[in-house]
This record gives sequence, C-alpha cells and structure tokens, in this order.
Amino acid sequence: MSNVAPANPLEMLAYNLSLMIEDNQIVYVGTGLPMVGGMLAKKTHAKNITLVFESGGQDPLDGCDVPWSVGCPFTFRKSPMSMEMSISFGQCAVGYVDIAFQGGAQFDMYGNVNTSVIGSYDNLKSILPGSGGSNDIGSLTEKSVLVGLQLPDRFPERVDFLTTPGYLEGGDSREKAGLYGGPIAVVTQVGVYDFEPESKRMRIKALNPGMTVEIAQMCTGFELLVPDEIHMVPPPPDEVLEVLRNVVDPRGVFTKMPGA
Amino acid sequence: MGHLYTSDEQIDRLVDFKGARDFHLKKDRRKRDKRMSLSEAIDQFVQDGDIFAETGFSYVRSPIQAYFEIVRQQKKNLTGIGSPMSNCSYFMARGCMKALHLSYIGVEMRGNDKNFARIIKNKDAELLSLWSHGTMALGFKAAQLGAPFIASKQLLGTDMIKQNPYVKVIDNPVGIDHDPVCLIPALFPDVCIIHVQQADRYGNAVISGPAINDIALAAACRKVIITAERIVPEMTIRDNSNASIPFMYVDAVVELPYGAYPGSCPGHYYWNREWWEFLIRIGTVTYENMIEFTDHWIMNTTGPYDFIDKAGGMAVIDKARRLMEAAQGTADDSAISFDYQEVIPKWDK
Repeated sequence: MSNVAPANPLEMLAYNLSLMIEDNQIVYVGTGLPMVGGMLAKKTHAKNITLVFESGGQDPLDGCDVPWSVGCPFTFRKSPMSMEMSISFGQCAVGYVDIAFQGGAQFDMYGNVNTSVIGSYDNLKSILPGSGGSNDIGSLTEKSVLVGLQLPDRFPERVDFLTTPGYLEGGDSREKAGLYGGPIAVVTQVGVYDFEPESKRMRIKALNPGMTVEIAQMCTGFELLVPDEIHMVPPPPDEVLEVLRNVVDPRGVFTKMPGA
Repeated sequence: MGHLYTSDEQIDRLVDFKGARDFHLKKDRRKRDKRMSLSEAIDQFVQDGDIFAETGFSYVRSPIQAYFEIVRQQKKNLTGIGSPMSNCSYFMARGCMKALHLSYIGVEMRGNDKNFARIIKNKDAELLSLWSHGTMALGFKAAQLGAPFIASKQLLGTDMIKQNPYVKVIDNPVGIDHDPVCLIPALFPDVCIIHVQQADRYGNAVISGPAINDIALAAACRKVIITAERIVPEMTIRDNSNASIPFMYVDAVVELPYGAYPGSCPGHYYWNREWWEFLIRIGTVTYENMIEFTDHWIMNTTGPYDFIDKAGGMAVIDKARRLMEAAQGTADDSAISFDYQEVIPKWDK
C-alpha cells in the first residue's frame, strides 16, 4: 500500500492538464491551474517543452515559485528575450504554438467561453473581468484546452456572452467564421471531455477515479454526449504526485483543497 | 452600451489617424532637457477629457505612483484604455474616469474587481467598446507602424464584435482564401505614462523585461510621460544602443524611483502581494471600503517614499528587492523564501 495520499480533485485536474502536453511542444499558459499543469508536464513526461505567456515572457528557466501572474518574473526568468504582447499572440496565429490552456466563467456545449458578463450588458447579473487574452488564445491557437470547475450554471447549453469562440453553433460553423484550430478538450474536477467530430458537441472522454456518468451529467447544464465505452483516468503515479506536491506547487497555492 | 458620459468627438478621436499625425507633427522637436517633477508633468500633460492609456501589465512595470498623482490632482472625464487596464478601477472610484474601452480589469487569480463591477452596474461609468488583449495590442501596434488598420483572425464569430463599434469583419480581399478577417483600426489614445528602468534627460528610454504594449503606445499616443527608476547619461544609452523608446515621442521625463510600487519593476523590486489582495478582496468590496482604501493609500500619501513608509518602510522595500533578484535569478535564490500565507490582513489605519 502506498503511503502517498491519493490525488485530491484539484490535483487530478492539474494531472489531466499535464497529460494533454506532449514533449517538445510550445505551450501557451494562462494564470492559475494551467500554469501548474504546464509546470507538472515539464517536470515529468515533457521535459523539453517551451512555455509562452501573454505578457511576452517566454522560455523562462525554472524558478523558485509558481508564477502568480502571467506577468510575474517567473514567466521571464533568464529568458533569451521577451516578446511584445501583439507579437506574443502573433506566435499563436502563425503556427508557433501547439497548445494553449484557458479558464472561463462559463463553457457551453460547443466549447464557447464567457469571461465577460453573466446576464447581458443590458440586464447585468454580474460583470466579469473581460476577455483579456481569452479570445486571442481561443481564436488563434491550433489546440486549446478549457480548464475549470464543472457546475451546471458554469456549463450552460449556451454561454450568456460569447467572449471566446469554441465551435460556435457546432458543425463547421467555426471554420465558416474564418477560424482555424479549436478546443480539443475540457478538463474539470470530474474528468476530461472532447468534442464529437461531426456535431462538435461536448462528449465524455474519461472520468476521474470515483466519478460516474451520472455525476458528470449532474454537474452539467446540457446533455453530455456519452460514448459507448467510458474510460477512467488511472490515478496519477506516486512519483508524479510527489513532484506536484514537493516541486511544482509546494505551498498548495493552486492545488490544495479550500479548507483542507 | 450607452454614451452617457462621452461625446462623439471623444469616441472618434481614438481612431483619428490624421488628427494624431497632425498632433505629432506639431510637437516640439528640440532635443531638450525634459525633466520635471511628477506633479508638473501630470498637471501639464494629462488633461480633463483625455483618452488615457494604461501601460505595463497592471502590476508589472506600471507607473502606479504617477496614476496616484492623477487621482490626487482630481483629473476629470478621462476615458480608459489599455490591455490590461486594472488600475482604471480606482480612477473610476475617485471620479476621474467615466468611460472605458475594456479589455480586462481584475487581478487574475487574486479575484474579480467588485468596484469595477459595481460602477458599471450602477452606470457610474460606461463601456464604449470591448476588446481582447491581442486585438487592442494590434490597434496600438498598427498606430506605431503607421498602418490605418490591421486585419486579424481574432474576435470572429463572437459577441465581442457586437459590442465594438470600431472593428469590422470582411472577407480578405487580398488573400488566396478570401476568408473572413477582422479589421482592427489603429488606436491613438491621447496620453500615456510609461515607467522604465532607465531614461536620459531627453526621453530616450530603456525597458527591461516584457515591454507589453509600451513601445507601440509611445508611438501611438499624442502625449507621453516617462517616469524612470534612474536618469542615466545619454552616453550610457548610446553605448548600449538599447533604447526602447526614442526621445522624440516623449514630452516629460520624471525621475521616480519606486514609481511602479506597489507593483513590481523587473531588475528592481517585487510586487506587494498583500496590498493587491487588500485592494481586490477588501478594498473593492464596498464603495465605502474603496474610498477608505484609496484615501489611505492615494489621497493621503505624497509620493513613493511616503507610500513605502506607510507600507512598512525600508524592511519591506528591501525584501521586495531581494525577492525580485531571486525571482529573476540575479541573486542566489537558495536562501530566499517565497513562502507567503494568503491572509486577510488587518488594515491598520
């Protein structure tokens, strides 16, 4: 019996994020859990990836703490150079970024993202910070991965405001709008989702240990597509958890459960 | 999106290519000593009704101490723009700013800005247009390049376009695919303040670390104020041939050590995490808190030295220097701890 405590839901989330990354890729990371996932990949199975940040920091040497902001010095620690913001996003547009991670207040069944407003601008329920780099990453990157906690009101059938394009109305509507690439996955505390190739609707790909299709559906405000065979994510190996807990996020800033 | 506080002229001025060009043509060309005090620079070059562009990255090399002086001088009717633009929150709280071209206001993982949300909800300020970081960055870059617009692959297919009267989607008339593109006009704010590590007396300015949009904004804005950690001899910049911003863009040069504090300045000091957590988690929560917080930290301070004294003095600023050097790998980081408990600290008045 292992004496390493099993992964908590946030650690599972970070682990699943890290598995999206292949070695040698160029990875565009947003603030928070995406950074943890990127760092974990770099410390485990994907040692030769290059991290890129929207403030212009890129290819930093590993630092002594998790970056607390996409403009933090750990995003440009001993970097060969820093990019201006317009050029940093240009790297996504011209094909120098393989995969990007981003959060959001709402994700819908086609992977569209809302970081702008709950309700509408004429009838405000709550106002969110705004796009920031979200629209740019979702519009320009070849493969994007959406990251967040899965709850029914955060996973509505249709986002209240479409800040960042996923597959828009589904089918070929993203392509028709003039956009390349698109979201390949959604990673939550419940598991990992992908998008059915024809309809572009969100579909269960694999569930975290202890999760069921029923739980996944209860956490979702629309009908999830369910494949014939449900895969379960194997628990992270002890050595990966130890890297996550001791090296990547030793103070548990991002992966400790609130109140724990 | 209404126009409660903004004239059509203010809305048009942001994209007035000819107007910005004419303004730049009339600027004093003499390579002269532009040094002055912070209060003189703000008084002279930030005017009521200006379209005001934020620089840096909210809390990274942002000219925060100069922003505080704008609040103290009670400038009125500013329109905010910038990507990001998180410091606009306290301009709105203190009645300096009534309109925004919005990209992002918040402190990332630290939390949403409830002051900004409340002000927009109460219609005490209005949103004139919505942008992503990248599209606004392209608007500033277009201005720097002298290009009337740039075609981008952003904003397509979204609700953002419906809330942005400046951009336009067309089928690419010059590409092989004739695919939809989004035209982003060159953006010309009236004024920006840029905090740099080094400048000479004429305004040649050196940025270390990410430049964000500041090189583009220096060219785009009608008026530019430089605040600098150090004023160096012109020959230092010539020897290194590393100016990011040329003197001719610049109207005023202010020697202002710690001018980006309580944000960070690469090569100099780390941010004051506690201050930002206070602001976002306590300060912005109610109108009264916001006024009390900004009274304490802005209205009742006189400048960076006074601010630092209030924040804990020499011990705090020297720790900020050591953390930045460790973070950037310019000091031996093995004995420097980044341990930090996210606490809700007591706010001593």
